[in-house]
Amino acid sequence: MVLAVFLLRALSPAFVNEQLSDFSLPDRVQDTLTLAISVIIESVPFVFLGILLSAVVQVWLPHGVLARHLPRNPILRRASISLLGMFFPVCECGNVPLARGFMVGGFTVSESITFLLAAPILNPITIITTHQAFGWDGHILVARLLGGFLIANVVGWLFSKHPDPQSLLTSRFAVACAVGSTGGREHAHDRESRFSRTTEIFIRETSVIMPALFIGSAVAALTQVFVPRSVLLALGSNPVWSVLAMMALAFIVAVCSNVDAFFVLSFGSTFLPGGIVAFLVFGALVDVKMLALMRTTFTSRTLLQITVVVGLMSAALGLLVNYVA
Amino acid sequence: MPPAAALRYWAERWQGVVLSLVVVVATLWLGLSGQLGLYIHPRYFVFTMAMAVIGLVLVAAGFARRRVFEAEHTGRFETALTGVGVVLLLVMGVAMVIVPPTTLSSATATQREVNSGGLGTDDDAEQAATLIGTGDFEQLSVREWVSLLAQSSDPAFYADKTARVIGFVTPDAQDPDNVFYVARFVVTCCAVDAQPIGVPIYLPDWQAEYEVDDWVQVTGRFDQSVSAAASDPLAITPIEILDVDQPNDPYVY
Repeated sequence: MVLAVFLLRALSPAFVNEQLSDFSLPDRVQDTLTLAISVIIESVPFVFLGILLSAVVQVWLPHGVLARHLPRNPILRRASISLLGMFFPVCECGNVPLARGFMVGGFTVSESITFLLAAPILNPITIITTHQAFGWDGHILVARLLGGFLIANVVGWLFSKHPDPQSLLTSRFAVACAVGSTGGREHAHDRESRFSRTTEIFIRETSVIMPALFIGSAVAALTQVFVPRSVLLALGSNPVWSVLAMMALAFIVAVCSNVDAFFVLSFGSTFLPGGIVAFLVFGALVDVKMLALMRTTFTSRTLLQITVVVGLMSAALGLLVNYVA
Repeated sequence: MPPAAALRYWAERWQGVVLSLVVVVATLWLGLSGQLGLYIHPRYFVFTMAMAVIGLVLVAAGFARRRVFEAEHTGRFETALTGVGVVLLLVMGVAMVIVPPTTLSSATATQREVNSGGLGTDDDAEQAATLIGTGDFEQLSVREWVSLLAQSSDPAFYADKTARVIGFVTPDAQDPDNVFYVARFVVTCCAVDAQPIGVPIYLPDWQAEYEVDDWVQVTGRFDQSVSAAASDPLAITPIEILDVDQPNDPYVY
């Protein structure tokens, strides 16, 4: 039916298209729609890629193979996990289904959070684009990489101390993890059932992630259209406000971590380097779209805690760059 | 099966594949009709189209799956998420079919402040300097002129150079009656990060002839802006202004 509607639209006679092209919404409504659609079209390929990699981890690789080859010491283990993004450069939207797949495949909650927070920054595409944009100027690349690594590991360490890690997850996902770790892999060696399970993972993951993505995109678009950016831009030259303003901008813009360096480069003349670093670290880990996506897996309370810790550490990093570097 | 449970089952079984189908078909339609550039940067075209095809295969497999699907426990949050997601899908789905895909408008340019970002790299300045060196100033685009204006506002530098730029009309924030910008959006990733850039044009009472968001080609020379209130010290005094169609590729990269 969907195919038919679009085919009909594409093949409709010229006068119908003319009538439709005369139809227009008020500018702000139209722009909200354009922005929301652009986020969805840009993000969905990465979501699909993340789901496919998640299916590889859950169905195609032997159960727990990744977890088995990692160091046993918890700190070294999380440090290694925070570098997994070097092999799974799927952008932050795709990292959510992948992190869910890791948890079903045997990672602990804190290990998955570490991956989720580190992978958007510690992956080859982000490193290359940040280097292309800034080179070694102002230590921005180094601050971003070290900051991302440190924040992901500190947050992972904090959550590893939680007495009941399962309570950090939504009830639905906690059940899915329990099923994944105890059963549901009885046909793992059956090639037919692997395809079948891959399809099932696609159905289940898209049923959770896609509504969240639509909501996140709509919120991102509405915020962009109705919050004047001039308020933020006026704060660029103050060492403290530049950091906070850029974090607010990163939260609103929700631009992909793979290319956010090119975006923020244009603000380099307005904002101090600490503000740029805070944007590049905070925005890669937490923004309006990511919160909607992560809410599919973690409780609101968990997300609030993650946002506060990541926010404070990103701000501290930005201030350190502004005052010390 | 009670109605609430039936709804949960339906949502879990079908909402993901249906939402994916809509996005995949819309993406393929936009790609094949050459309109994908209205939403995302061209560097993503191949990846996006390839993933849309893979997504279509997965969606088809999702529809064809016969095995009895066991719905998981669904909480209030997930049910609410489903409801809101479906409403948004309906709104966006209908809008995507009825409202033709289009660029961002002057409303967003105003909201984001023209020339507050989008340029400023050494590459931009170098490219503009190279083009200036060729002497063919009319080949310089909005992007290159904006880059030059950021480097120098000395009127003598622009005295013998005629500019010809294409963009949409958006008013100057400080002196909207006398000055407008010929503007374009610079896109890094997708329309969400689009930054408006523009060249100021001094033309008192321009609203009498042109409307905001009209696409125009302006030919003229830079001068000290007559408007004391305008945002920029220099502005083009137009020799000729032509109405033009929106380019196929309205954004600059």
